[in-house]
Amino acid sequence: MKKTVDVAIPLGPVHPIFKEPCRIKCETFGEQILAAEVELGYMKKGIERIMVGRPWQEVMFLAERICGICSVIHNFVFIETMEKISGVSVPDRAAYLRVLANELDRMQSHLIANFSYCYTIEHETLGMYLLNIRETVMDMLEYLTGARVTCAYIVPGGVRFDPDEEDLSRIMKAMDKVEEEMLRYIRMFEHGPLIGLRSKGIGIMTAEQAELVHAVGPTLRASGIPSDCRSEHPTYQMLGFTPIVRTECDNFARIMIRFDEILQSIDIIRTIIKTLPEGKIRGGGTIGRGQTTHRGEAPRGELTYRIKSDTHGRIQEIAIQTPSIMNIEACARYMIPGGTSVADVTSAYISSDPCIACTER
Amino acid sequence: MRSILSYVKHMASVEWIKTFFFAKTAPLITPSHFREFPHVTDKECTHCFQCMMICPAPGAIEVIRTEKPGEWKPVIHLGHCIRCGLCVEICPELVLDSGRVHTKNAQDGTYMQFQFHITVNPVICMGCGICSVACPVNKEIDPQLAAKGTSTSDEVIMRVYKGINTVFHEEKCTGCKTCEEQCPNRSVMVARVLEPLQITEEP
Repeated sequence: MKKTVDVAIPLGPVHPIFKEPCRIKCETFGEQILAAEVELGYMKKGIERIMVGRPWQEVMFLAERICGICSVIHNFVFIETMEKISGVSVPDRAAYLRVLANELDRMQSHLIANFSYCYTIEHETLGMYLLNIRETVMDMLEYLTGARVTCAYIVPGGVRFDPDEEDLSRIMKAMDKVEEEMLRYIRMFEHGPLIGLRSKGIGIMTAEQAELVHAVGPTLRASGIPSDCRSEHPTYQMLGFTPIVRTECDNFARIMIRFDEILQSIDIIRTIIKTLPEGKIRGGGTIGRGQTTHRGEAPRGELTYRIKSDTHGRIQEIAIQTPSIMNIEACARYMIPGGTSVADVTSAYISSDPCIACTER
Repeated sequence: MRSILSYVKHMASVEWIKTFFFAKTAPLITPSHFREFPHVTDKECTHCFQCMMICPAPGAIEVIRTEKPGEWKPVIHLGHCIRCGLCVEICPELVLDSGRVHTKNAQDGTYMQFQFHITVNPVICMGCGICSVACPVNKEIDPQLAAKGTSTSDEVIMRVYKGINTVFHEEKCTGCKTCEEQCPNRSVMVARVLEPLQITEEP
């Protein structure tokens, strides 16, 4: 929509801080931001169109590659949707292993999101510390699944590989190391005076505004609303899961929620390894015809897959709703305007953890 | 919050001084458990083409004859391969190998299995019979079908019966999709339904 403004400052598609290209046009009055508009379209690949007509063993890999940071959850929710269509059930051990891979992926995604935020407040040291500990988490994903990113671990009826005792004990030791380092970095972030100055009270989005714009994920939970798709997932409920909520509504709250979720994931992984049941990892089952909607909790929020499949499990129609679609709009409408400085636009934008690859598949 | 004294004590240790002066960057070796591009082993390839059927990346793998007469080998084009490891898992002769896939499959008793289903769209099918003449399994069962184009045998997988291509024995299909490729208007389709399974122990 064309609108004549006094001064419009673009934070262009090519920006050293953005992980993926998108353009934010800010309407400013001096240093004050009056409104912001986000322009997308730099990363459209048409993945949903390529998926039509293919069976699950090809669509699974396409779904993983929608987003490189949160690839396991796309795999997870897609396969769960296909299983819901066909009535395929999963043995207990496989369900626990799926959650193990999912939580490891959630940890590395939160670590890179917070690294990105530390870059926007120009604290590269803390950012690099986080990226360093992320390598440990990626190594554990590699031991479990064989690959660091795009693991292709979850298949209909179960998982692909079974970790032996050595792998599980290695993961336990790594979790101890990650927890020790994370407690130190959280202390650095929470009590650092310049970090607090740059994050507290910036990018406020109240609970009413968040509900109005349908924000999801940590962006929503930082505004005081306890909404998390993992509360409805049976395996997570067996492990005892409650969402983490904060009420400060600013950048600081969003980043601290991600740090707290990393610690929560470490606890979940420890519970899984201690109580992993014996049994099979694949229950078998073929994918059939049907139509359904299914949602899961990606690191950035709620991920929805709407799939219609034909007689032998080939995709006829598919629609994917990723969390960043809602969060980027929430950011542009409520977090960026009202800011006292153009310098706060990048930190407010990155604190809502946008993933443009997910937004435009 | 660490004090300056604690840092000085840490830096005065032998281990720190050795790491500071003599450590080199870690060698870049791929760990053995990493699922890398599959490499071809010396086992005999029976050209069943199941690796080509399961590959999700178009153009990544092809099974071709080598110089030795009667020998076939899969060839992986690295630019297209996404290192998913499905071809490694499905090969019945274990010709391809990558990471710990075979060790894990042997330990857990896991395997993948194809089922092939043929669907004919009765509205679009014009009964031309190209699919049943092209089918290589039909050629073995009833050579008259490929030579003359007509057949009265009911042992073939499919043939034109009362004006429409009718499937008689879906279980004999090997999933090569030659019929689907040759069909002029996409009315016959082959579905390769994959099922990941695990061997159950006898109770």
